[in-house]
Amino acid sequence: MAAFEYRQAQEIRDVFAAHAVRYLFIGKSGAILLGFPDTTQDADLFVEDSPENGRRLVAALRQLGFELTDSQAGDIERGKDFVQLKNGPFDLDLVFAPDGIEHFTDAWQRRVEVEGFPVCHPDDIIASKAATNRAKDRESLPRLRSFRDYWLSRR
Amino acid sequence: MIINPKASDVSDIPPEWLAEFEAAARRPLPLRMRYAFIKTYKPVMDDAPYRAFDTTADYRRWCEENLPDWLGYGRV
Repeated sequence: MAAFEYRQAQEIRDVFAAHAVRYLFIGKSGAILLGFPDTTQDADLFVEDSPENGRRLVAALRQLGFELTDSQAGDIERGKDFVQLKNGPFDLDLVFAPDGIEHFTDAWQRRVEVEGFPVCHPDDIIASKAATNRAKDRESLPRLRSFRDYWLSRR
Repeated sequence: MIINPKASDVSDIPPEWLAEFEAAARRPLPLRMRYAFIKTYKPVMDDAPYRAFDTTADYRRWCEENLPDWLGYGRV
């Protein structure tokens, strides 16, 4: 599997928009869209957990080329909290209940649009990573917090 | 969570980080993404085409019990 590319992010944006999927880029991939200079492997999407959004998401993923069985589609439609997809044109993590963020609607109201990409506000990305409390996130948080200050200063 | 849009002070940012942020801001998004997304094999994590977890806590637990420590997915 090759690295995730801008063209693939565009495909997500366009196909998800066509299917009216409610989602946000989150995690380091979201921070990178906001301008954070760092590296990551995969795209992480925070998806609204509702049956209707789940059905739209499954249709969008299949259009993108993800080979979902009916059982897997059922997992997504029912909103398992975390789904890891490596059965499509690129790797994708679907997060329905990220640590540190209570409700999708709150994050949606705070979202930032970058060239049409819906992205979590840096404070939500930081809150999520801080709540996860993993070694790899703890290492990146000081620089991410500094980026948040820089990003706000340019708004 | 409280968002305070005024709580930003770039004078506290280490100069080398600030230089990196400013350099990134001058790059178009496609170039930023080309620099940012890399792909290396992650043992165990990359060995299944699909995984789903009922709760995020289940996923965190699975990471701690199955992934090598050096991948950094364990909680501290």
